Amino acid sequence: MSIIVGYVPTAEGTAALDRAISEAHKSQSRLVIINSSRGDAIVDKRYAQAQDINEVTERLEKEGIDHLVLQPVRGNDVASEVLEAADKYRAELIVIGLRKRTPVGKLIMGSTAQQILLEASCPVLAVKAGA
Amino acid sequence: MTSLSTRLKGRSELGVAALLGAVGALVLFDAARLVVPYSQSDPVGPKALPIIVGSLLLVCAVMLAVNVLRGGHGEAEAGEDIDLSHPADWRTILPLAGAFIANILLIDWAGWVISGTVLFWGSVWALGSRHYVRDGLIALALALLTFYGFYLGLGIALPAGLLEGIL
Amino acid sequence: MDILSSLMDGFATALTPMNLLYALIGVLLGTAVGVLPGIGPAMTVALLLPVAMVLEPTSAFIMFAGIYYGGMYGGSTTSILLNTPGESSSVITAIEGNRMAKAGKAAQALATAAIGSFVAGTIGTALLVVFTPIVVEFAVSLGSPSYFAIMVLALLAVTAVLGASRLRGFASLGLGLAIGLVGIDSVSGQRRLTFGQPLLADGLDIVVIAVAIFAVGEALWVAAHLRRTPLQIIPVGRPWMGKQDWKRSWKPWLRGTAFGFPFGALPAGGAEIPTFLSYVTEKRLSKHPEEFGKGAIEGVAGPEAANNAAAAGTLTPMLALGLPTNATAAVMLAAFTQFGIQPGPLLFENEGPLVWALIASLFIGNTLLLLVNLPLAPVWAKLLRLPRPYLYAGILFFATLGAYSVNLQAFDLVILLVVGALGFMMRRFGLPVLPLILGLILGPRIEKQLRQTLQLSAGDVSGLWSEPIAVVVYIIVALVLAWPLLFKAWRRMRPRTAVAVGGGTVAAGPAAGGPTAERPTAERTTAVSPGQAAAADGKTTDANTADATPANHGQEKS
Repeated sequence: MSIIVGYVPTAEGTAALDRAISEAHKSQSRLVIINSSRGDAIVDKRYAQAQDINEVTERLEKEGIDHLVLQPVRGNDVASEVLEAADKYRAELIVIGLRKRTPVGKLIMGSTAQQILLEASCPVLAVKAGA
Repeated sequence: MTSLSTRLKGRSELGVAALLGAVGALVLFDAARLVVPYSQSDPVGPKALPIIVGSLLLVCAVMLAVNVLRGGHGEAEAGEDIDLSHPADWRTILPLAGAFIANILLIDWAGWVISGTVLFWGSVWALGSRHYVRDGLIALALALLTFYGFYLGLGIALPAGLLEGIL
Repeated sequence: MDILSSLMDGFATALTPMNLLYALIGVLLGTAVGVLPGIGPAMTVALLLPVAMVLEPTSAFIMFAGIYYGGMYGGSTTSILLNTPGESSSVITAIEGNRMAKAGKAAQALATAAIGSFVAGTIGTALLVVFTPIVVEFAVSLGSPSYFAIMVLALLAVTAVLGASRLRGFASLGLGLAIGLVGIDSVSGQRRLTFGQPLLADGLDIVVIAVAIFAVGEALWVAAHLRRTPLQIIPVGRPWMGKQDWKRSWKPWLRGTAFGFPFGALPAGGAEIPTFLSYVTEKRLSKHPEEFGKGAIEGVAGPEAANNAAAAGTLTPMLALGLPTNATAAVMLAAFTQFGIQPGPLLFENEGPLVWALIASLFIGNTLLLLVNLPLAPVWAKLLRLPRPYLYAGILFFATLGAYSVNLQAFDLVILLVVGALGFMMRRFGLPVLPLILGLILGPRIEKQLRQTLQLSAGDVSGLWSEPIAVVVYIIVALVLAWPLLFKAWRRMRPRTAVAVGGGTVAAGPAAGGPTAERPTAERTTAVSPGQAAAADGKTTDANTADATPANHGQEKS
């Protein structure tokens, strides 16, 4: 069993990670960190660079959590990557960060969070930044 | 046979030499076909440049073949958006070419709005986008916009094809 | 005084609201394509050729001029923020500018690049105003033999000097000349390389070929090797410079301009060599040589100025002699022919108002670029988030549209695909595309001069060197062709000096950037201990700073 966290190098991503770490401490499960990009634009600020990932792993080492960091770039959207990993690593919980969105913006853009909520076969914990 | 094929392996650049040789031979052959009566006003005639160009190509073909067999190779062009560490991705190129050819076959018969939509939608799909509906709408909008833009703005009537009378 | 009044007339034409609008469109488009990956000014001008045909020629060229200068500005923005030089002349900017940006001085790097480009572009254009009429005056006195010789020099120099492999350059030139042969020979009425196809009798349209090579070939090539790992852009606010930055920048700007303009004006100078020379010079003269390689502002200011001054210099032979020496100038020259304007020494006499309006618009475009780029740099950087499927599908879409709209025949699209495939193959096997385009454009004109020359001498070959200028030019041609041999011999005779000089330039050049450093792999599984993590961290940062993607050798982003 494991806990899956969708990580992005932003405030809400860090919030999700914080929460996932405390959940992992509680259940003593393995933490699987997913940071993915569709890779369709040359620049994607939601794709973590090496330095970021190193900081994350360093922190997890310090806290003594069994962990795995995945950064798939295969043209799939982030939601499918998270769901696929949840499947593969038999997730007991998925933790995601939520962005503030206006209802209209959400109507146009669709939502990664929504897709994960609807399609996941395990509980999903949605965390907001600064909460 | 085996030794030849190992020698040839990774020497796809020889194909370039073959192409240069073929074009050179073609240019020379075509030049030989020209019959030109000597003219006072044009002592050079239409044959001279083709002969020079054909010979240049043949010489390049031979030198390139020698260069490649000796282990030389041209450096593939790098760029901002290019990652040369993986080989050419034919699963992108072939569908792209397919969309392009579909457009050529369709444009005169079905008209630009349809063929252009097919071209854009197919290319976007080949390049990895999977938002079928959104892409289709963008493709149709682009095709319609350019159709009317060219007609009204530039006075160029792109073929309306099947949609003749509707547009 | 005559020049001044002509230039003032040019300003009067270029400053009409309509033409100002076209200048603005050109500047915005140029910056956008400069920022965007995989598309550059030459491709843009080629794609716009069919559309531009309905415009007033003056307006069209004002727009093209904006694109030409704008591409350079946009290119430096991506070089600095992303460390991905789009062309060989911005390699230095990418190295030094990106390190400045990583050290938190992105705003200053962008500012010194933009203001330096403005200074160099303005001085370069002023030099263009001064020198071009002198060159024209000299050129109109030339007869066919000299003019033929000069064209041969331009063609061979571009082929032999620029680019990594001379052999492959000549192969590309041969292909271009062969494509240029297709069609009815205007003197004798003979059909060449038409294979009985009536559609080929009028020759292959330069627009179609240019679009095929630059747009289709490039789009297919990029599509085959799309970068999979997203890059991180360095966030930046509005560019600005402090007093100290100004103090350290103004001299490099001027020196860079002095390097750039003459190299640009030479038939095969290009923009790459002056940027390297400027970098080496600044490093030598700087009070902070230790900062070089770690983000010295002089190392951005000088090369960027050199780059832009070279762009202005390139227009001197283009306007005065009808000889283009880079891809964008070549496509602009094709545009002249499309409008039925004969490029060459008589251009100033026949099309004076147009040429002066074009030159005036260069001054205007440069100023607009500074105004558009300084406050808007962060906005331009956002363009990089455009999903690439749309970008490259869009290029193919508009390439098809443009090529088709020239003659409204599907046959042209077949040509587009075949020549596009040729463009793909050339990029794959390292054949430079510039000689092909030059051969295509200059080939027919060279043939005409050759025939005129020998007609004058009644078929006597010695007519070719009947003018002293022609003789001088042929000697230069011989030197250009024999240069590698001479260089080798000289190196053998004086090995130590040669190595020192060569080493100096090379070390400052691509070598300083190092080979393409490893990018993070697509799927990475990390499970390292803190100690290892720290080590890995150090290594990665190091690799990232040394990571300047080597540019296309001697070629620009098309």
